[in-house]
Amino acid sequence: MKLFRLFLVLTVLIWPGTALAAGADMDSVLNRLQEIGGRIETLSSDFSQEKYLSVFQEMLPAAGRFYYRKPDQLRWELTSPVTSGFVLKGKQGRRWSQAGDAGERFDISREPVMKIVAEQLLAWTRADFDRLRTEYDMRLLKESPVTLRLDPKGGAAGFLDYLQITFAESGGHVQQVEVHEKGGDFTRIIFHGTAINQPVADELF
Amino acid sequence: MNVSAVVAFLYRYFGSRRIFLLLVTIGVIGAGLLGFRSLTMQENIAAMLPDGGRVAEDFRLLQQAPFANKMVITVSAKGEMESGDLVSATKILADSLDADLFTDVGSGPDERLQREILPWLLAVLPNLATEEDLSLLESQLDAAGVKARMEETYRSLIGLEGWALKGLIRQDPLGLHRLALEKMRHLNLVPGARLVEGYFFSPDGRSVLLVAETPVPMTDSAGAEKLLVAFEQAARMLPDTVEARLVSGHRYTAANAQAIQGDLWRILSVSILALAALFLIFLRSARAIFVFLIPVSVVCLAATAVGLVYREVSAVTIGFGAVLLGIAVDFGLHVYFALRRGQGDAATLVGKVSRPILFGGLTTIAAFSVLLFSDLPGQRQLALFSVTGIGAALILALVVLPHLLPVGARPQESVRVSSPCGRRRVILSIWVILLIFGAWQAGRVDFNGDLRSMSLVPKDLAADEAKAQQTWGKVRGHAMIWSLGEDLDQALTVNDGVFRKLSGHPSVDSLVSLATLLPPRAVQEENRRRWREFWTGPKGEEILTAMEVQASQLGFSSGAFSPFYAMLEKSPLSVTPDSLQDVGLADMVSSLVADFDDGRVGVLSLVPETLAGLEAIEEALEGLEGARIVAQGRFAQDVSASIQYDFTRFILSAGLVVILALAILFRRPRKILAALVPVVTGLVMMLGIMGALGMTFNLFNIVAAILVIGLGVDYGIFMVFRQCEGLDRSTESAVLVSGLTTLAGFGALVLATHPALHSIGVTVLLGIGAAIPAALLVIPALIREPVR
Repeated sequence: MKLFRLFLVLTVLIWPGTALAAGADMDSVLNRLQEIGGRIETLSSDFSQEKYLSVFQEMLPAAGRFYYRKPDQLRWELTSPVTSGFVLKGKQGRRWSQAGDAGERFDISREPVMKIVAEQLLAWTRADFDRLRTEYDMRLLKESPVTLRLDPKGGAAGFLDYLQITFAESGGHVQQVEVHEKGGDFTRIIFHGTAINQPVADELF
Repeated sequence: MNVSAVVAFLYRYFGSRRIFLLLVTIGVIGAGLLGFRSLTMQENIAAMLPDGGRVAEDFRLLQQAPFANKMVITVSAKGEMESGDLVSATKILADSLDADLFTDVGSGPDERLQREILPWLLAVLPNLATEEDLSLLESQLDAAGVKARMEETYRSLIGLEGWALKGLIRQDPLGLHRLALEKMRHLNLVPGARLVEGYFFSPDGRSVLLVAETPVPMTDSAGAEKLLVAFEQAARMLPDTVEARLVSGHRYTAANAQAIQGDLWRILSVSILALAALFLIFLRSARAIFVFLIPVSVVCLAATAVGLVYREVSAVTIGFGAVLLGIAVDFGLHVYFALRRGQGDAATLVGKVSRPILFGGLTTIAAFSVLLFSDLPGQRQLALFSVTGIGAALILALVVLPHLLPVGARPQESVRVSSPCGRRRVILSIWVILLIFGAWQAGRVDFNGDLRSMSLVPKDLAADEAKAQQTWGKVRGHAMIWSLGEDLDQALTVNDGVFRKLSGHPSVDSLVSLATLLPPRAVQEENRRRWREFWTGPKGEEILTAMEVQASQLGFSSGAFSPFYAMLEKSPLSVTPDSLQDVGLADMVSSLVADFDDGRVGVLSLVPETLAGLEAIEEALEGLEGARIVAQGRFAQDVSASIQYDFTRFILSAGLVVILALAILFRRPRKILAALVPVVTGLVMMLGIMGALGMTFNLFNIVAAILVIGLGVDYGIFMVFRQCEGLDRSTESAVLVSGLTTLAGFGALVLATHPALHSIGVTVLLGIGAAIPAALLVIPALIREPVR
């Protein structure tokens, strides 16, 4: 299973490079978002997920909840149609695939796929554009609400087409993420009920 | 005409033709020097191992061990450190290493392996899945099992990381990759490593493994030092929080070369001082220097003779031979003392001393001839070298040297060794007591055949070796099981048999083998046939039907798993070493598959080396033709047994030859036994003291023991001649001085830090140290002929 995950991560890791400058307007927008993102201590949000995959006859809906606590604690859980998820505290994590499942522990340094996923979640939540720029070319599609298109650089383009991230009007958090794959499949995640800098229970992590 | 008359005649004959004699001598020695310069030396310890039989083959097979010829570099964090930072430091080191000296620097599997291995494994799985695998599938993939796996597939796709898994899930909805990955389980050459960011990390996450190759031969001491300097330079580029350690045979080579260089200065200084003192006390003549030129001259002649017979000359042999030619200096000393202190004309004096010299020399030659029949090619060369060298030394000492030495200039001033009756009893009593003690303790000496014990292992290198082993496991300490065949497929067939017998064996904790990934052709064909039958048979159809039902219930589209169905219908190509290399397993193939010079192919399996384990493995593999177990520890035992056998054989044979020669010379048992006193005393005391001090006897001790035998016999012959045949008192001086020069020259090696040189020094010091007093005191005490 380790090699299996390793393979996956390698495929993902093929996204190298640095972002090109996208103009002064985008820079000022990103700076503003980054400044707001830097003030986030905790974040919790419900999300709904829509998967448009050719391997399924119909769109696959799902829902779940997301938690973040500065600097590196995450919890991502699906609550329907299946129960699964993972929690991460620094490098150490635990994942589960059904309700009541004690799950299995993992070390993020040995789970490249989880590492990538976690880094992406952290980057979006903290509006860490410096990091995102190293892996994507960014374009500002819309200023209000801020909508960015992220094109992976290099060979990853053979796998992932682009990401589209929409921020809330306030700019304080991400409201929607779309992951577009080559061949037309895509996943849309919409965040709602987002609470920023509210107490988050310790036991969640 | 007897020997003395011939030698006296030759002296007179060349007396008027000295210039001609010297020119011819210089010409011959010059030719020897030229021949010596053109020799091809081989610095390989293999020359000192038997060139036939099991030990020789084991030695060749041991050279093929994975990592045996590679450099292992451990990059470690000195404190807590993020894995990414350690990887960055490792990259800095790898980039800083001199690319000409460090080739193929890498850590972790080949990049292609990480990218391609899983799809490839799934594609070739029909070749690899055994009957047991299919039984396992059958039991796991019942209706409930299929349902569970399809739901897992569904969950994976719906999860956050699903987009990354989609391609593989379409190819493998039933999770057959679990079976495929099992085939890789036996390929872990580094038991202590885990893979992080494409690098081999230690279990504690604080060290990264780098493996490098180099064009510098392991025996090239100058190249090894250059390599280590380059490594240190590169290591200086690392941040202060990171350190790097290199473990490789080159460090041994460099350390040994440095130790020998350091030893040589110290030993040469001591030897030169001691020889100078002996020169001033006993010789005091500028022309006595010619005595010491004899061994130097004959080394070139003897080495050239070996070069004419053997294609490659072992440097080890020549080194040993040069030591043994210490015998040669004694002939010159006897001639010197006879001429310098004898009374009468020079021809008569030379003729008179020629008998014991010639007999001593011929006895030594006879003893060395025994080595011509040794199993060790190096010892055969050594025999030829010594026989030729001693022959040449005899000629130089008896024919040429007398014309270069002063005659009759010094008065008799021998060492007083005459033995009054009471004193004789005391001498003999002490001698007997010492002999009994020596014989008693000699039984405690163990033979040590471990080649590593004959080289120097500095403390820092031993510590680095231990640390590497602690960090990565015994990457270089596995026992090897070679599956040998006339061609690759035959070797793979044997390897398959080895795997079947050892996999799951209670004595085999871990097994490194290619068998699961590279079965022989016939097994792959059989596996494919069985795989096809399984999926087209009732069980396969049942699984596929259950899968379709589940897919439909979970909402998968009709073409969702078309890559999986295509894989089931397609007959895959066989797995070959080339296909393994193509997916990034080239290192594994080159480590575990070897083509030998004799055309055979060997496939290697590795198991942990424990004594009990080896015995159990041997038992398990009994009757499996072509399987051969080679283990470093057992190899050392075999070499040890071989050395012991060789030593015993040599001592007995040489002893017989020497006794025969003495019998021809003296014809009286009393004289024969008396002549053997120095040899027996030297050997018994040498072994006895070594036994009492808990020292072991190695290859180098054997060769040095031959020196003790050769010199001891000479001392005996001279002293018996001295007592019975009318030689004058200068004989005692000659025996004493020749013994002391030997101690000064070779006994001084005991001061060496290098184990090999030290071993020679110990043997000579103890053996000759006992033989000299035995010759000078015991023989006169035993033979009570009147002293003239």
